[in-house]
Amino acid sequence: MGRHTEASHRREVFTGTRTLLKVALHQDRPKIAPWVGLISVLSVSSILAYRWIFPDLADRKTLAMAIGANPAMQLVFGAPRDLLTNDGFNAWRAGALGAFFAGLMAIIIVVRNTRADEDSGRAELIASGVITREARLLVAVLMATVAAVALAVVCFLLTWASGGEPHPTAVLSLTFAASALMYAGIAAVAAQLGSDARSASSIAIAVLGVSYVARGYLDSTGAEEWTRWLTPLGWLEQTYPATQNNLWPLVPAVLLAIAMVALALGLQRRRDFGLGLIATRPGPARAPGLGLPGLAVRIHRGSVITWMIGFAFLGLVFGTLAASVGDVFASNPAMGAIIASGAATAEGLRFAFVATILHIVGIVTAVMGAQVLMRVYAEETDDRVEPVLATATSRTAYLGSNVLIALASTALGMAVAGTVMGLVAGASDAGIGFGDVVRQAIVTIPAVWVLVGVSVATVGAEPSRRIAGWLVIVATFGITLLGPTFKLPDWMLGISPLYHVPNVQAPSPGWISLAGLGAVACLLYAVGFAGFRRRDVH
Amino acid sequence: MTPPEKVIAIEGLVKRFGSFTALDGVDLDVGRGEVHGFLGPNGSGKSTTIRVLLGLLRADGGHVELLGGDPWRDVIALHRRLAYVPGDVSLWPGLSGGQAIDLLGNLRGGLDRARRDRLIERFELDPTKRGRQYSKGNRQKVAIVAALSSDAELLILDEPTSGLDPLMEAVFQDEIAAVKDEGRTVLLSSHILTEVEALADRVSIIRQGRISQTGTLAELRAQTRVTVSARLAHPPTDIASIPVLHDPHLDAHGRLTATVEPDQVNAAMAALVPHEMSQLTVSPASLEDLFLRHYDDERAS
Ligand SMILES: Nc1ncnc2c1ncn2[C@@H]1O[C@H](COP(=O)(O)OP(=O)(O)O)[C@@H](O)[C@H]1O
Ligand SMILES: [Mg+2]
Repeated sequence: MGRHTEASHRREVFTGTRTLLKVALHQDRPKIAPWVGLISVLSVSSILAYRWIFPDLADRKTLAMAIGANPAMQLVFGAPRDLLTNDGFNAWRAGALGAFFAGLMAIIIVVRNTRADEDSGRAELIASGVITREARLLVAVLMATVAAVALAVVCFLLTWASGGEPHPTAVLSLTFAASALMYAGIAAVAAQLGSDARSASSIAIAVLGVSYVARGYLDSTGAEEWTRWLTPLGWLEQTYPATQNNLWPLVPAVLLAIAMVALALGLQRRRDFGLGLIATRPGPARAPGLGLPGLAVRIHRGSVITWMIGFAFLGLVFGTLAASVGDVFASNPAMGAIIASGAATAEGLRFAFVATILHIVGIVTAVMGAQVLMRVYAEETDDRVEPVLATATSRTAYLGSNVLIALASTALGMAVAGTVMGLVAGASDAGIGFGDVVRQAIVTIPAVWVLVGVSVATVGAEPSRRIAGWLVIVATFGITLLGPTFKLPDWMLGISPLYHVPNVQAPSPGWISLAGLGAVACLLYAVGFAGFRRRDVH
Repeated sequence: MTPPEKVIAIEGLVKRFGSFTALDGVDLDVGRGEVHGFLGPNGSGKSTTIRVLLGLLRADGGHVELLGGDPWRDVIALHRRLAYVPGDVSLWPGLSGGQAIDLLGNLRGGLDRARRDRLIERFELDPTKRGRQYSKGNRQKVAIVAALSSDAELLILDEPTSGLDPLMEAVFQDEIAAVKDEGRTVLLSSHILTEVEALADRVSIIRQGRISQTGTLAELRAQTRVTVSARLAHPPTDIASIPVLHDPHLDAHGRLTATVEPDQVNAAMAALVPHEMSQLTVSPASLEDLFLRHYDDERAS
């Protein structure tokens, strides 16, 4: 190939990229802005809250000890380096979580602008214009890049303005951007593999989830330093904002992003428009017994199975963790008391820790349940509910079949995670009984159903408010995990349904509160079903 | 003679979406055994009317009766007796076309296996493909086969053939003709005029959420202006001075074209006789004229 044709080919690859990028950015701006805002708020809020709640050194030392001794906190937020300064606290509270959400943002942007557009046929309009195959993928990645840069800039400015030191704040903000870039690359590859948008995002989100939990496990068990390099999110941790302020770990992150995009471009040349490299097999020609339950199962089966594998994995990780906390508590009983107030014995402490971990599992299962309900609404907007409701199927039966899946899958998720956790923890000599872990997992279920109930109520009665289904989960997450750290009063902690989950080892477990949770759940479901019978279906 | 039983009876139906009034007093009657063409420009309210009939949308005003029942209240009982082809067919990504057909049939309360297999063959449909692998036309065929496999007494079809090729269009017309022969009722929303002309006993034209015309095609034609064309040996200096002629046009060779109200043809002839006509043609409105006129009025208003 002559130099001329090579150069012109290279130019051709980018034909239309600019125009498309402009249009796509204009379209997606309102969808990207909330992500940038929320992640920045994560950082800003920890700067503001820290000064307000922990004004003096004594408070801060107590905090540092409590967090340092609590593996559950390290699992979710990462290992703290320095909790005595404002920026060190921010790096701990917002670092890992912010990187996670930045990655999630990038995945959603890339999949939406590649495969989701292909599924809807919108991309066909674009592909038929003067534009190369590569341009559409590049535009999606460039959009994620723009979002990453916007996130870094906005987060830096807002955090700095709220009182963060410029240097650590810059490092933290750049870490978020690097995470977005890495997962944009991973999503670009996933978009080539999955047979549609949903499976493409499942693949990418699974990679993100596994690396997050793996990083959390390594952090919370105090694994050797080199193991931090095993996950991409672990690389980002190595920047240590506020303590070391390293920027060089971001170099491999950016290299990974570039390599992934190159791989995705290569894979894209090999796949057909609208199809993934993982081919779709032909289906059966008939389905004599297929009815409403079968339809609901088929709609949710794929994602629920993936979730169950995830719950088994969570159970394994958390079980190992629960087995190993005994040592931590043994060496620092005072700290155990902070985590599990009221528990007197060492066994009691360990079990209170198990209950806390099951709260986290409960929140994750609620995410799955909410996702099932959001899918029900997506079915409606995709015009697939209308033909079903035009048959002799009542609205109650249709919504019911899907809600049943949400209830059963969340219960199953708790049971799977609880069983695996119980097996792993019970096999160790930590003094945690298998039966107790499973029972504790089971009594957590009604609280999860309350959380899912908000999604049922909104999707059923008022889908324009369905964001509430997610907000209530985020709020519960915040209250359950950070409420005690931020010394929230009991009534505020009580807003979280998980606060009312009884401890099965307690001499008199609060069965009444379990009934209360059940009643609240019933109310929410009643609202959802009554509303769904009454409203217009589109 | 008693009037034929009404399968659909809509009176003054109003439907609002927020502050926007999509249906503004729709009246629509469909008798048993009738194929009723439902026509109107895009966005005029055809699908909205149909969704009210299916109990998917709740009417804000007016009276709607379907198969003698209330479409909002008696959903299950009524839906056992009807089959529906939506305007935008979207299939479940994980289900094959064959599974989707069976699913919808089962949910209706059963389908005729032999008829289903025959229809799949006639429409040349591959039932093993998955939802998103079908083209638009093939997705529509899945919905059509699902509806026609039933023995529902009422078929509600919302632009069912907008993606079909001419061969499949012919098969569709054939099948609907058979449905009609069995005495079943069809509400057919369509833009394909030849299809409406071939199948419909009566048509209703909706625009801006109101029915503007209803009747048999012959009746609609009778209300629509006739086209007159003639060569005038002594054309008048001012053609507009002949009031019975609408939209008159006179070219340099003395050729006149104009439209005339159906009951004014005689008056028009009388007015033209003094100008010595030759090569006279008087043609009734074509279907296209008829609809273009109705659709155009909307743009004018
Ligand atoms: N869910 C909705 N919300 C708001 N407006 C709607 C909705 N559904 C339909 N409309 C509006 O109602 C009008 C009639 O729509 P429709 O019945 O779909 O027309 P068509 O005759 O093309 O089938 C259109 O202007 C459309 O934009
Ligand atoms: Mg329509």
